[in-house]
Amino acid sequence: MSLVDYTKFRLKPAEELRGTFKQVNRIFILSCAKCYKIFEEENEEEYTHLLDILGEDHKKIVGHAKIDFLCNNFLSEKRILNLDLSNCDSVGVNSCGLGIQFVAKLLEGKPVYALADSVWQSGDYATEIGYHGVSLEEEKCAGCSQCYLNLTGGICPITSCAKGLLNGPCGGATDGKCEVNSSLDCAWVKIHERLKKRGEKFTLESVPIRDYSRPSLKLRSDLSLQNQTLRGEGFYGGLHPLEKKGKTADKKIESFPEPKIAVIFLSQHAGRRATPSVRVGDEVKVGQKIGEADGFISSPIHSSISGKVISIEERIHPAFQSKDLAIIIENDGGNKVDPLIQPCKDFENLPKEKLLEIISERGIVGLGGAMFPTHVKLSPPKKKKIDTLIVNGCECEPYLNGDNRIMIQHPKEIFVGIRIIQGILGVERIFVAVEDNKLEAITTLNKFLDKSSSVEIVSLKTKYPQGAEKVLIKRILDREVPSKGLPLDVGVVVSNVGTVFAIYQAVVEGIPLFQRVITVSGENLAKPGNYWVKIGTPFKDIIEYCFDKKGEKFLEEYELKMGGPIMGISQTSLDSAVIKGTTGFIVLRKSPVKVSEERDCIKCGRCVEVCPMQLYPLYYSLYGSKGEPGKAIKYNVEDCMECRCCESICSSKIALLSFIKQEKEYARSSNKA
Amino acid sequence: MKTKSKLERVLESGQFAVTGELGPPQSADPEVIRRKAKILKGNVDAFNVTDGQTAVVRMASWAACLIGKEEGLDPIVQMTCRDRNRIALQMDVLGIAALGINNMLCLTGDHQKFGNHPMAKGVYDLDSIQLVKMVKDMRDEKKFQCGEEMAVEPRLFIGAAANPFADPFEYRAARLAKKVAAGADFIQTQIIYNVDKFAEWMKMVRDRGLHEQVKILAGVAPIKSVGAARYMKTRVPGMDVPDSIVERLQGVPKEQVSKEGIQLCVDIINQVHEIEGVAGVHIMAIEWEEAMPEIVEAAGLLPRPKFVTS
Amino acid sequence: MLVVQIKPEEEILPKISSKRLFIFECLGCQEVYFPTKEVEKFIDNLKEEIVGKASLDYLCNREFVKEYIEGYSKQIKKAQIILVFSCGVGVQIVSSLLEDKIVYTCCDTLYLNGFQGLTVQEFNCDQCGECHLNYTGGICPIAQCPKHMLNGPCGGSQGGKCEVDPDVPCAWQQIVDRLAKLRRLDKLEELVTPQNWSVGLISEPPVKRLP
Repeated sequence: MSLVDYTKFRLKPAEELRGTFKQVNRIFILSCAKCYKIFEEENEEEYTHLLDILGEDHKKIVGHAKIDFLCNNFLSEKRILNLDLSNCDSVGVNSCGLGIQFVAKLLEGKPVYALADSVWQSGDYATEIGYHGVSLEEEKCAGCSQCYLNLTGGICPITSCAKGLLNGPCGGATDGKCEVNSSLDCAWVKIHERLKKRGEKFTLESVPIRDYSRPSLKLRSDLSLQNQTLRGEGFYGGLHPLEKKGKTADKKIESFPEPKIAVIFLSQHAGRRATPSVRVGDEVKVGQKIGEADGFISSPIHSSISGKVISIEERIHPAFQSKDLAIIIENDGGNKVDPLIQPCKDFENLPKEKLLEIISERGIVGLGGAMFPTHVKLSPPKKKKIDTLIVNGCECEPYLNGDNRIMIQHPKEIFVGIRIIQGILGVERIFVAVEDNKLEAITTLNKFLDKSSSVEIVSLKTKYPQGAEKVLIKRILDREVPSKGLPLDVGVVVSNVGTVFAIYQAVVEGIPLFQRVITVSGENLAKPGNYWVKIGTPFKDIIEYCFDKKGEKFLEEYELKMGGPIMGISQTSLDSAVIKGTTGFIVLRKSPVKVSEERDCIKCGRCVEVCPMQLYPLYYSLYGSKGEPGKAIKYNVEDCMECRCCESICSSKIALLSFIKQEKEYARSSNKA
Repeated sequence: MKTKSKLERVLESGQFAVTGELGPPQSADPEVIRRKAKILKGNVDAFNVTDGQTAVVRMASWAACLIGKEEGLDPIVQMTCRDRNRIALQMDVLGIAALGINNMLCLTGDHQKFGNHPMAKGVYDLDSIQLVKMVKDMRDEKKFQCGEEMAVEPRLFIGAAANPFADPFEYRAARLAKKVAAGADFIQTQIIYNVDKFAEWMKMVRDRGLHEQVKILAGVAPIKSVGAARYMKTRVPGMDVPDSIVERLQGVPKEQVSKEGIQLCVDIINQVHEIEGVAGVHIMAIEWEEAMPEIVEAAGLLPRPKFVTS
Repeated sequence: MLVVQIKPEEEILPKISSKRLFIFECLGCQEVYFPTKEVEKFIDNLKEEIVGKASLDYLCNREFVKEYIEGYSKQIKKAQIILVFSCGVGVQIVSSLLEDKIVYTCCDTLYLNGFQGLTVQEFNCDQCGECHLNYTGGICPIAQCPKHMLNGPCGGSQGGKCEVDPDVPCAWQQIVDRLAKLRRLDKLEELVTPQNWSVGLISEPPVKRLP
């Protein structure tokens, strides 16, 4: 594999640099850490070389900063404005033309000097600018906007022929080599050979003259503006994956058939695993407690069916992907409900301690996927004053529609749930955040909103991961959760809308958490949809019911994700079952290319473009692959929220999350030490 | 005298010079040029032939100049950088000089999008200032742009254009200085309708002493119709046509407009004649060459000086 | 940054009439721009039999394309024509890996400002090899002026706008303004000599090929 080094610039000739330095007294140097070359080491600038050239004049340098991807305006501006440039009379920039122009505009009023020349990228023969792709391959495209590849067997005449001939060859090729540079093949000879291989011929028609007015300036500036608007929406970074919600957005929530055997895990929440409070052989009813919370940060487990406990054993846990304890219950078909489940009419008058007790007893945890025990979240330490509640109805992952349908079908209950939480927290301001791809949900909520209440429905531009807590808080309240901090540090509690509904059910209807809405969607599904599914329903039941083609080869050909397709956890066993944090069940045909730790980073800069936490993920890859996880700490790996934007867009398909998890684990254990 | 140009002699003698302009045909017909040249003869010291004006294909300037020369006039060939790279430009300079044409106006060229072949590739290997320098070095250093020497140099009187009305206005005089430093012998300005602005520009030019280093010919033109006035106001790049001009033409009956348009031109000639530093006028009666004799006479610019050609 | 537009139907349909098709669709630069709806519509309207379709990102990565070709080898074998929706780089790579198959592109590629690949930029750089930004106050005359004048402006600059398009600012107006702010208008006094357009041919090879 011959990869090209597409370094975009090199230091100007020595005399020119010395001449520039004669004009300055105190100069600050900014160096771009380069792009589009294999990322092998951190120090890519030629700073020492510059110092060598300057000799005595190097004393005029009052400071130096290395900036990754200088042309990433948003992040570079932050970095540069944080530097102390007060005691320099000029700034020297070692980067390609983009970086220099950007800095010159940013620091208008201060002389900015180019210390580097941009380098021609098109190789040693083309007289036309050719652009490489998001890769280090040799093939380039001139962006002529009138693609000739269909006439030339897939070899570009503009970037491969020194004269850019469209009706080549000229008369100058000798032995198949170009007259301009004899080490290069004549493009038209290659074209002729390729067409022969395909059984095609040179077209006999004269290829018309190139239209140099294309692409039009207007088209280019329209698309550029469109892109900048798209990227800048709502927050820095993020992605716009294909939504694929159309399949299930309009599907009313149906009841999924009860499982014959329920596999109910004892760990369905953050914190300590629940301890079993039943034994093998016991008869249990629907809603009966079968596991006791172990401590404050824990949660009880309830049975979702009536029947007999046939085993308490370890199964592959869908979130941990390792074995964990579960209670196996055989359904007796009787649907007998635990008599302790009673609606509460007088809930409006209950004190907050009682409400918290109910929420805790009924096993309510965060249903957005994190499964944090709700009673803990709603009991912030006294010194943290909470002034705002944000109800998260964003559901920003593709395919998922569970929260969407709950908002459409149960708006009244949601508002009751909100009132309950408001009573507990004593907040004045409440926002319900919904992405703008859920028009029906927004309209429904607005219809049922009591205008006099302090609840505001906020429609947010759809962009992944708008629904992430920290992103949401910044977007709605313009508050930044401190590094390694929590929402309560800035006076906010964020609660998933499904959790709010579960709170309503727990308090008003007395129902503990033993079922939830999940979206089953993806490819080759006969029955995609939104279902009320009993906790403990084995995954193979769902496949049986919803999937079109059956067979044991399922896990070989299909990727099964619990959750959404981006942050969802890949499942290795169909014996795993639905837990409280299962938001979705996504079936996707396996791709021939998977993320890998073995691939090289090519410094394309896209991970930095999309990270909502404004981190530099390429360093996680660098140090991960070098086996130096500790070095990632200085690049703030602990602030990563594992949204996988970087991994999704990585042009080399590097297993970034795997590296990040290793590095975070390392940071955690070295913090403890 | 650097060249055999009659224009150069007139300017050197301190007399107020008059140059005219001729638009070549959009065809291969030489008679059009002969006819127009005959009208200009005796009314101008030299005449320009435009080169692909507004990027519309017309007969090449040098060819039309040759035909005009055969009619006994002193032509000024115009060369733009839009259509030729430095190789072709230098080749044409040698050929033009060999044909006995004595004057050349060096321009960057209107962008191809304005013309009838908007899909053409614009070359722009050089810009107008680099072109001026290149021709000057060919003439005075006998060197090609690459540094190689030539045996017989092209003796061309070198002109450049100046647009007092283009932006950035404050920079325009500085840019003129650059053209002068590059070697321009004479300047022809863009058509002047806003005399006040032109006077402002001339002041900036005089403050730099440029009027003593280069001969400035003020560009003027009669207007045939109200429509033509509006067209120039809105569609021609780099033109400043004040509303008062349009109104003046609108204020007369239709049959009188062209006569008024000629008078307008004469008035402006008289006004610029009074401005210090203006060495002559460049009258661009494009597609209306018949008006030239009338304009020149009414402005008191006849007879044109005669020299014994060496 | 390369992005694509769909070619007019008349250019493609006659070439693929009644043939069995395999489709490669690249979504790699989706975050920049990809005409998803038009491509979907185009494919839906095809009357020809589609024996397979691979949607992937980064068709410009040869290794990935190789894996996909292997993974879809049965369908590709059945296909008479491979249709590709991607920029010119992707099409060339697919063509080079399927040399005996007829590969057609359904897209025209154009270039948005931004040097290459990183992201769409406000600025552009034409890789000229002799950075002029030192005397223009950091505004590029080659990339921003349609006539790439080095001793601009031309006579068509009006109201700070370029004669080519009234929405486009005149680069030289911006340069003069910027230098005026820096009180360095003197930088424009010296004649800038003609550009060396042959940097690709005579300079030392800027690109190093790794073994």
